[in-house]
Amino acid sequence: MKNSWILDKNHLSYWLRQLRKDRELIGPLRRYNHDIVFRTVEEIHEIALDCPASLPSPKEFLFPQYERMLRAGDLSSGRRVQDLRTERPRVIFGVRACDVSAVMLLDRFFLDNSKDPYYDSRRRNTLFVSVVCNNPDPTCFCAGLQTGPYLERGFDIQLTDLGDRYFVQADSREGIRTISATGFLFNRPKKSDYDDQYEVFLSAKAHFQKIISLDGPRQAILLGRVHDEFWQGVTDRCFECGGCVYECPLCTCFTVTDRSYEDGTERIRLWDTCLFKGFTRMAGGVLPNENRILRTKRWYYHKLIHYPDLLGSFGCVGCGRCTITCPGKIDMATIATKIKGLSLNGDLG
Amino acid sequence: MTNSIHEIADARVLFVIGSNTMEQHPMIGMQMRDAVDRGVTLIVADPRRTQIADFAHIHLRHRSGTDVALLMSIMNVIINEGLVDVDFVRRRTENFDSFEEKLRRYPPQLVEEITGVKAGDIRRVARIYAMEKRSMIYYAMGITQHVTGVDNVRACANLVMLTGHIGLPMSGINPLRGQNNVQGACDMGALPNVYSGYQTVTNPRARRKFQRVWGKRLPQRAGLTVMDMMDRAYEGKLKAMYVMGENPLLSDPDLEHVKEAAGRLDFLVVQDIFQNETTAYADVVLPAAAFAEKDGTYTNTERRVQLIRKAVEPQGEARADWEIICDLSTRMGYEMSYRGTYEIMEEIALLTPSYGGTLHYRLEEGFGLQWPCTSREHPGTPYLHRRAFAKGLGTFITIEYLPPDEPPDEEYPFLLTTGRLYFLYHTGTMCRRTVVLNREEPECFVEINPEDAESLSIRNKSLVEISSRRGSVKVRTLITRRTPKGTIFIPFHFREVAVNLLTNPAVDPVAKIPEYKVCAVRIKPLTRQKTRKRKAPKVDLEDLRIT
Repeated sequence: MKNSWILDKNHLSYWLRQLRKDRELIGPLRRYNHDIVFRTVEEIHEIALDCPASLPSPKEFLFPQYERMLRAGDLSSGRRVQDLRTERPRVIFGVRACDVSAVMLLDRFFLDNSKDPYYDSRRRNTLFVSVVCNNPDPTCFCAGLQTGPYLERGFDIQLTDLGDRYFVQADSREGIRTISATGFLFNRPKKSDYDDQYEVFLSAKAHFQKIISLDGPRQAILLGRVHDEFWQGVTDRCFECGGCVYECPLCTCFTVTDRSYEDGTERIRLWDTCLFKGFTRMAGGVLPNENRILRTKRWYYHKLIHYPDLLGSFGCVGCGRCTITCPGKIDMATIATKIKGLSLNGDLG
Repeated sequence: MTNSIHEIADARVLFVIGSNTMEQHPMIGMQMRDAVDRGVTLIVADPRRTQIADFAHIHLRHRSGTDVALLMSIMNVIINEGLVDVDFVRRRTENFDSFEEKLRRYPPQLVEEITGVKAGDIRRVARIYAMEKRSMIYYAMGITQHVTGVDNVRACANLVMLTGHIGLPMSGINPLRGQNNVQGACDMGALPNVYSGYQTVTNPRARRKFQRVWGKRLPQRAGLTVMDMMDRAYEGKLKAMYVMGENPLLSDPDLEHVKEAAGRLDFLVVQDIFQNETTAYADVVLPAAAFAEKDGTYTNTERRVQLIRKAVEPQGEARADWEIICDLSTRMGYEMSYRGTYEIMEEIALLTPSYGGTLHYRLEEGFGLQWPCTSREHPGTPYLHRRAFAKGLGTFITIEYLPPDEPPDEEYPFLLTTGRLYFLYHTGTMCRRTVVLNREEPECFVEINPEDAESLSIRNKSLVEISSRRGSVKVRTLITRRTPKGTIFIPFHFREVAVNLLTNPAVDPVAKIPEYKVCAVRIKPLTRQKTRKRKAPKVDLEDLRIT
C-alpha cells in the first residue's frame, strides 16, 4: 500500500509542533469529572488519546453550535454587509474513525448539491488526523456499521498505534502534502509493520462489546413491521431535550436568526432539533406533525430510511454518543436492538 | 428530599401529589417512568392530567385546594383499616391522640363531596400506600402554593409518620425543589427567619455564634417575607429594596399592587443577568455573572452539594454575585474579602453544622456530597431521620381542611390555576431570549375543558378575556381534557399575558406563600362566534395540545 509511513512515537510531539506552525491545533483534552472535549491545544502533552468519546462530537468545528454568518449596518468597516466566514486553517488531531466517517457524510449533505459556503470554508481549511480505536467504549458500535474502528479510505491522515511507533496513512491530497512537508520524520514501513498494523485492526474489532447492524431495523421498518404502538412507547420516553441531535456527529438541523446590537445586526446560525415542534411550525401556527409520535419517528426514519435512500449509507456512525446522552434510554443502539428483538420474536407491536 | 433520587428505582409505591414531574423535573420523572416499567405502583394526585398522570396506575383528580381533605381522608382509611405502623407511632412520634380525633371527621364518603375523588379510590390509595413498606411521597408547588400550603405539607408529613414510611431508604417524604439551587439558597439562610443551616434568628445561642464570627450585633427579630415587603413598600414603610436574580414584577401575585409598591420605593437595586420587568423600576442595575461565568456550589433537590466551575469569563461589566456583595459590604463599612468561593465555603462549614464537611476540595471528585455532612470525614447522608427526627419526636400537628381563599362563585365561576411549561423557565428572563426555546412556546394560552368551551361557545385558539377581582388578561384558548371541567390553566411565563395580574395575593399564614394555584375568574369570549344553522359535526377535541 502506498502512502504509508512509520512515525516514531518520540517524534509525535515534534510533528504536532510542526503542524501547529501554520494551523490551529485542536485535540481531545481532559476536563473536570472525566469530560473529554476537543479544544485548542496549548500543551501537547495534555492531549488525551486513550479516552472515551468526546462530548460534543468534533462536528462543532465544521458546523458550530453558534455561527456568525454576516453582519449588517456596521458602517465603520465601510461595507454595509460584512461576510463573517472564517478561513482559519485548523488541524484536528486524535479524532476517531467514526467521527471522520461522519464528516464524510456531512460533506455530502452540505456540499453535494448546493454548497453551504460556511461549511465549505471551514471544511477546506480543516485537516483531520484520526487515530484507530484500540479500546472502544462500552457504548461504541461502529464496527457493525463499517464506519470504524479504522478507515479504509476517505480520511486525511490516519494513525495506528503499534506500541512504540505509529503506522501513518494518508489518503487525501492535503494529507499527503502535510506528511511530505515534514517527510524527514517519516520512514517507509517494513513488512513486519504491515503485519503489526493488520493485527491491530483485527484486535480493535474484537474489543467491541456490541455489534449492531442497522439493516435489520431498516428492513423491519420498510416492511411495515414496526407499528405505532412501538413508537408510542419510544415517544413516551422522549424528553424533547434535543441531546441526541446536538451530540450526534451527523445531525444537521439548524435555524437561522438575527440578533441586533447597538452597532448593527448579526445573522447567526444555531443548532436546532427536528424533535422540537417549533422546528416545522408554519406561519399561522399550523404544525404538520402535531402528534409527537411523528416527530420522534422522524429522527429514526431519517437515519435509518432516508439517509440510505439518499446517500447510500446509514445516518448513524455508531459513535454511541446518544447512548451516553439520552436520559430516556431511547438512543439508536437501544432502539435498533429493540426493533430487531421485536421482529425476531414475531411480536411486532 | 429526605431520600436520594436514585432510590426511586428501588421503591415499590410512588405517590406524587401536586407535581408535574415529567415536565418540571424531567430527570426525576424519567426515573419514575423507569420504575413504573419495572413494576412500581405510581399514584398521582393532580387536578390536571399531566404527563406523569398519563402513565400512573391511579390518577386522583381532586379539586384544586382540597389537598388537606384528600390526605386526611387517606389517613382516616389507614387508621380505620388498621394499617398504622403502631410501633413507629409509639416510639418516634407524639400527639397522636388529638390528631386521631380530628381524622374522624374525614371519612372518604364525605371527602368525596369536597374533593370530587371517589371514596373507593381514596381507600385504594390508602391501602396501596400504607401496606407497602417502600413507599415514597413526592410533592412540589401544587402542594405549597396554597393558603393552606403549610397544612398541606403537614398532612404529607403526618401521613409518612402514621405509616412509618420515613427514616429508611426508599421511604420518605420528598419535596421536589424547582431550581438548581433553591435548596442551597434556603440552606444558606436566604430566608427571613433563619441563618444558614436553618438556625433560627430568634435563638440566642445561634445568634451569639454568628455574632462572634462576624463581629457585629445581629437583629433579634426575624425579617420580612417577600409578600410582607411588598405590602410594607405599598404602605410606604419600606423604603429601599435590593432584588437579586428575581423578577417580582412578573412573578408575584396581584401585579397591579406590586407595581404600585415598586413605584413607591425610594431606592430599588436590581442585580440580574438581563433586563427584565423589575429592572425597569430600578434606580441601580448591577450586572451579574451567569451560571457558567462563576465558581461556587449548587445544592440540588436531594441535598447534594455540587461544585461548579467557571467555563467562560463574565461579559462586559458583569461580576459574580458574591463579588458584588462583598464589594458593596466593604464600601458600606463592613470589610468582606475572600480570595475565592472556597474561602466562603470554609466560613459556611464553620458556622453551619450540616455543611461542616462540604469543603471544595472534597467536592472536586465525583458528584458532590449530600448534607448533613458534619465533618471532613463524613461521607454524606443519603436519607434523613434514620434514628430520630431533627427535633427528637415527630409531632402529629393537628390540621383542619380549609377551603381556598377565593373559591369560584356565581360572579367569577371558574377556578384559575397557574403553572409552568416544559420549554420555559419562570418569567422568561433567560429562556425567552433563547431563539429555539422561545419558538417552542411563542404564545401564551389558556387551557379550557371541552365541556366548558362548549357551554361558553368558545372555539380552539380564539381570543378570550379572563378577569378576576384584581385585573384581566387577553389570551388564546387551548381546548383540552388535560384541565378538568370548571378549571382553567394559564402558564405564568409570559409578560404579554401576565397571569399574575389575576392571581390572589392571599398567603399562607405561616409560610407567607401566595395562593398561585387557586383564584376565581370569569371568561368572556372576544371573537364573535358565527351562529350556524346546521349543527356542526361532532369533533373529538381530545387533547388538541399534544406535547
